[in-house]
Amino acid sequence: MTTTVSRRRPGAGNLLLDALIYLVMIFTLLACLVPFIYMLALSLSDAKSIVNGRVSFWPVGFNLGSYEQIVTYPNFFRAYGNTLFYTVAGTAISLTLTTLFAYPLSKSFLRGQKFFMKLVVFSMFFSGGLIPNYLLISNLGLTGRVWAMLIPFAINQFNLIILVNFFRSLPGEIEEAALIDGLNYIGILTRIVLPLSTAGLATVALYTAVFFWNDWFNGLIYLNTSQFPVMLFLRNIVNGTSMVGDAAGFGDKSTIAISIKSAVIITSTLPIIILYPFLQKYFVKGLTVGSVKG
Amino acid sequence: MTARKTAPAIDSRQPLGRHLRRYWQLYAMLLVPVVYFILFKYVPMFGNILAFRRYRPAMGPYGTDWVGFRYFQKFMSDASFWSAFRNTLTLSLLNLAVNFPIPIVFAIMLNELKAIRFKKLVQTVSYMPRFISTVVVIAIISELLSPSSGLLNRFLQDVFNLPPIYFMNEPQYFRLLYVLTDTWQYTGWTAIIYLAAITGISNDLFEAATIDGATRLQQIRYVTIPSILPTIMVMFILNVGRLLSLGFEKVLLMYTPSNSGVSDIIDTLVYRTGLANQNYSYATAIGLFSGVIGVVLVAGSNFFSRKTTGESIY
Repeated sequence: MTTTVSRRRPGAGNLLLDALIYLVMIFTLLACLVPFIYMLALSLSDAKSIVNGRVSFWPVGFNLGSYEQIVTYPNFFRAYGNTLFYTVAGTAISLTLTTLFAYPLSKSFLRGQKFFMKLVVFSMFFSGGLIPNYLLISNLGLTGRVWAMLIPFAINQFNLIILVNFFRSLPGEIEEAALIDGLNYIGILTRIVLPLSTAGLATVALYTAVFFWNDWFNGLIYLNTSQFPVMLFLRNIVNGTSMVGDAAGFGDKSTIAISIKSAVIITSTLPIIILYPFLQKYFVKGLTVGSVKG
Repeated sequence: MTARKTAPAIDSRQPLGRHLRRYWQLYAMLLVPVVYFILFKYVPMFGNILAFRRYRPAMGPYGTDWVGFRYFQKFMSDASFWSAFRNTLTLSLLNLAVNFPIPIVFAIMLNELKAIRFKKLVQTVSYMPRFISTVVVIAIISELLSPSSGLLNRFLQDVFNLPPIYFMNEPQYFRLLYVLTDTWQYTGWTAIIYLAAITGISNDLFEAATIDGATRLQQIRYVTIPSILPTIMVMFILNVGRLLSLGFEKVLLMYTPSNSGVSDIIDTLVYRTGLANQNYSYATAIGLFSGVIGVVLVAGSNFFSRKTTGESIY
């Protein structure tokens, strides 16, 4: 895998280069991890320690108060549930539509395949823009409905191209054999192609799930408060649109806000952080499979 | 453009009726996604004609009567448009200047790491910010930079005895924060593309360079970088094409009345005039203008790249 050549003379130049590289890499590791550690420490610290500026990378006055408190907020629970629903439903719809589109597009003998591919690629560079999209959604009567979160983003062009390329990379002989055995294309897709494509499907499903999990803007412009996803809930806390609960018995209001904000940040990011190490190979796969050339 | 050589000879001679009868199931699969795609990607594209028509409430999304380029003339003579245009370009160019080279350097450095497990660890950790919501990113930095309790202000106070700075509110820090959060989120992720290109370089080239007595820096300079230049060019074209489309959601999250002088970009202007003030036609005209410039930029840089380096994205 590594392209470096093993036989190398150790020299001052090499040593200096290696030192510099390790320094940069360690800095990268810290830069990526420290913000989360800081958030975790804040969310687990008591109000007085935060106010006195004693919390850095380790909780001071350890307590779970802020977590206990956010689970009592009905808005937080509802928003979290909404996000779970948008993620599961949105990913399911998206995966179905994207697969149905990608499989025929992977067959270059199909008439019109080139044309459809061009239609897809062009729409990556030029799109309707915010206002025409907004007017379309509201004219379809989707504003204030959960469909406004799910439907408009069901097909993402990048994910589509990843799947098209993935289907193309499968050995064609298996499909030919299945055709001769009398299986039709729907059967081939569901019984042969999909089981062989779990890696590609997993990659696209992950990208889609992350998109729906992180989406907040569409919730802001299309949905009512009770339908807000958790990221919009967090955004409203951060910019002060909605208050961070009552401060009853907890002392200074602004400090409580800090540890509670951190607790919301941690809980709303946790699924991604926890799942990430196990699924990261799928995350990376799509980027190398899904080049724009198609 | 070169469609004729890819279709198998048998199929291109096959009559359309037979072709459809044979592959109707594939076309049936296409039906729903294509209708969907046209409705949600192409109908809004044609919805841009609203930029040339007057919008009246409850009279449909495409306006009522033609007004030509009136809305374009209107925003062209509007100072807030030009301010947003300048802000967009400044922020984009700054972002390009900083965040285009960094992933390349990072990928080259990663490739020089000999400890495989450490390399894997750094890679895995460095991609992760890409999957964190922009809302969370902004929430985290606003806590890190908070003037009352944030880590950075405490550090500045303890070490340099500086008074607390309200970083998220001061206009002079907006661009820096935008660019640095992008660096944080996307360096590791973008580096994957370059790393894949570096991995594809033939080992013979490095061996030959070693035999010729090239140092590691010379190998990077004369083997690695020239070999990944095509990838760099393609990435550059894509980036230039996106010059006018910044991370709108992030800017919106960072937008405060006090930093609006630098943080009002074209997309936030469209959002404000369109959705907040409901000047639909006017906002569509601004959006269309920036969309067309985007297409021209992609086509232009692609053309330039094909002429000079032979690399193109389509």
